[in-house]
Amino acid sequence: MTEKEKQLRLRQLKYVLIHAAVIIAAAVCVYPLLRIFSVSLRPGDKLFSTDLSLIPDGATFKAYASLLKDTMFLRWLWNSLLITLATSFIGVSLASTAAYAFSRFRFPGKKAGLILLLSSQMIPAGMLILPLFLMIMKLNLMNTYLGMIIAYSVSSLPFSIWILKGYYDTIPRSLEEAALVDGTSQVGAFWRIILPLSTPALSIAFLFNFTTAWNEYLVARVVLFSSQQYTWTLGLFELQGQYITQWGMFAAGSMLVTLPVLAVFLYSSKWLISGLTLGSVKG
Amino acid sequence: MEILRSIYEVTWFIVLIAAGVAALEGYFYYHFKYYDRPWYFPAALAAFPAAALVIASVFAGEYAFRLWFYFFAAEALIAAAFRYVVKGRHTVPYLLLAPAFVGLALLLVYPFVFEVYLSFHDLKLTTIMSWKNTGKLPFVGLDQYIKVFTTSPLSEVSFWALLGRTLVWTFSNVFFHVLGGFALALLLNNAIRFKGAYRTLLVIPWAMPQVVAVLAMRGEFHSQNGFVNIILTRLTEAFPFLVSLGIGPVQWLSDYPLLTCTIINVWLGIPFMMVVILGGLQSISSSYYDAADIDGASYFQKLRFITLPLIKPVLMPAVTLGTVWTFNNINVIYLVTGQAGGTEQADILVSALYKAAFTYNRYSYSAAFALVVFALLFFISVTYLHGFDAAKDER
Repeated sequence: MTEKEKQLRLRQLKYVLIHAAVIIAAAVCVYPLLRIFSVSLRPGDKLFSTDLSLIPDGATFKAYASLLKDTMFLRWLWNSLLITLATSFIGVSLASTAAYAFSRFRFPGKKAGLILLLSSQMIPAGMLILPLFLMIMKLNLMNTYLGMIIAYSVSSLPFSIWILKGYYDTIPRSLEEAALVDGTSQVGAFWRIILPLSTPALSIAFLFNFTTAWNEYLVARVVLFSSQQYTWTLGLFELQGQYITQWGMFAAGSMLVTLPVLAVFLYSSKWLISGLTLGSVKG
Repeated sequence: MEILRSIYEVTWFIVLIAAGVAALEGYFYYHFKYYDRPWYFPAALAAFPAAALVIASVFAGEYAFRLWFYFFAAEALIAAAFRYVVKGRHTVPYLLLAPAFVGLALLLVYPFVFEVYLSFHDLKLTTIMSWKNTGKLPFVGLDQYIKVFTTSPLSEVSFWALLGRTLVWTFSNVFFHVLGGFALALLLNNAIRFKGAYRTLLVIPWAMPQVVAVLAMRGEFHSQNGFVNIILTRLTEAFPFLVSLGIGPVQWLSDYPLLTCTIINVWLGIPFMMVVILGGLQSISSSYYDAADIDGASYFQKLRFITLPLIKPVLMPAVTLGTVWTFNNINVIYLVTGQAGGTEQADILVSALYKAAFTYNRYSYSAAFALVVFALLFFISVTYLHGFDAAKDER
């Protein structure tokens, strides 16, 4: 065997090893999801079999049917959707204007404001749940959409402002100056030039607000108490809590929630990640 | 019908917020434009909505009256500030900022101040109804803070035990996140086929909704029905010598809750680190490695002297973030152990804080607890971030 051949063999070996390692890691990452899928397909009498195959014997969609029919799963999804959409809408609109002020103007208190935004990220998320809960109780908004929207709406605001400011900074000022020369106002330039140009950043901010509120559990746990008003996170927790009876339905519900989220995440992950490093702060 | 009603409710709320923002903008605009009127003039004009509040206080009692008083005081302050400090300058940025900052003040700063207030008073299950009706609370001074260090937030575990557990939890998690993320990123950074597909599969734990991922993993750590124990059983059946090494199915949730939470959280957190580090690796120019190859550097020398220093600017913020996230991670621990009859052997500071407030209803106590935890985290972050000032390029 020549020296060259030896090197080639070595390289091939390395190639195979890398693939093997990555495939094992990928299996560890994906297996739990496949397992949820497999459990959701199990017929009712085999829920607790110790079978590890992906498609169980006698696979059936019964768990999905009974989830949609016997529980309020659709209602929970709807509640989550309403709360989340309203929250993201409010959050992004407030952030888009505030970020513009930080990006384009110089004014007293600018640095203080930016530091406030950054340091607000240091407050433990769990810490403000208690006062928010008490405020919501005092305002008689327990168990309502409004209470939830209030509790969620500013939680992602600092981060959104940070992302959008970073993006606005990359848009050249001369575009607005041209618009100003043509006779529009500063606000008009923002509305007609900057906002349309920032669609990618706005969608990242929207997506970020959306996923944060959509996956939120801890605030919902204390604000909502009737199953009519539950978000899907609470509903799934409930189903999973009754481990003995509802395991199949829990798995079915998990699949229904996860698939769209996965799709959106994978589709947008490139921007989302660049947004994360752009903002470089989130707590 | 239900659906229509819910849409109506939320739309109405958004319209209300929009109206509020418009009113706020108009109000500030007025102040900007006419800041040089006599001091009593804006105050007098603002008295009209205030008067409405006074009339409301006839019906709603003392509470509305207090609101009116605060409003009036705030208005006088604002008018003075506009007259002597702002003087009509910087109208546009302030108007743009106003809604976001009012929102942050009401829902971030005020709750924080309220938490401080709570921690010096005594709000618990027996006083909460009277607080709700009258707004008054007994003042107890530093009692709650003393209790934080002397009594248990839950039923047995003490503050110091929780602190130690939190530190162990944070460091072990971050360590394995970085280690796993770095290893995977290095593997993926080779020129291999199906790179995109692998990357997609590897980020799935991060992309899944966390509640689903944690709850599903919790089920999988169940002693009989979870796949972890099933696989362990089969392994010991296939290779009996493993039993003598002490490997076998265990009661994960009741015997090793903290280990279970750590495994779940490591599984959840590696993809984020991997993606961040991979981004950093890809931005390193290959000419460094070519130069090192010419000098005859070994793989580990290249790793140590080229990759690590060049990845540091990306790695440091990610590690800082990861530390703060892990320190604050209530989700994983609460979802795994939070059900009725759940153990407290896995609780860290923040999850104990959550449970003290909402399982044991000790509100003031947990407010004091929260402030102690905040001070701790603040101290850690400041030492950590020393010299890393993200706002330094701003003037």
